[in-house]
Amino acid sequence: MSDYFSLMFTVVLLSLVVNIGIALYGIFIKPSLVKKFIALTIFSDSINSFAIALGFRRVTGSYPGVAVLSDVPRGVEELRHFSTASVDPLPQALVLTAIVIGLAVYMFLTGLIMLYYRHYGTTRVDAARGGSRE
Amino acid sequence: MEPVAILLATAAALLSVIATYLAIEAKDLLVATVFSAVQSTAYALMYYILMAPDIVLVYVPVSVGLLPAVTILLIKKTERYER
Repeated sequence: MSDYFSLMFTVVLLSLVVNIGIALYGIFIKPSLVKKFIALTIFSDSINSFAIALGFRRVTGSYPGVAVLSDVPRGVEELRHFSTASVDPLPQALVLTAIVIGLAVYMFLTGLIMLYYRHYGTTRVDAARGGSRE
Repeated sequence: MEPVAILLATAAALLSVIATYLAIEAKDLLVATVFSAVQSTAYALMYYILMAPDIVLVYVPVSVGLLPAVTILLIKKTERYER
């Protein structure tokens, strides 16, 4: 059972690494600014998912719960059980902030790409150099 | 509970890899936007299984609703096909 769990979790992490690789390829190689923008959103989402996976915790015997105390703990034992049987909430808080800040950055980039298109008449990056790369 | 949940997370992760590849390789930027939204949906499912439902509540409206809408508006204002 534990081997199965570890294998599946490793597959999840490897998928995130592959996603980061594909998104970086899109950011560096693709000439269209809109395609770079889409690749950037995928890249940042993959990094955020990595942080979420970092806060996940193995709990022997059961599945970890959400880090929410719905009742006042009755003693130290209950608090200790809660802290070992729930996921780490700190990466979740950081990712929540990152998503909201990222949205503002994406809006700014959208405006910049639109201004670029109005100036050069295309969204290819090599238009700014006055020539074509191919 | 545990085997099914982690299997669902793995399936969502593999689906996100396929969607990412198709989004990067699509020549039609509108299709790329739709595949990016599919990838975001897979990530949302993964967050839910990795016990982060508060992230899901923020991530789904932002990354499946608002961001594709803004990207589609951007494509409408600029050009649809990648040359």
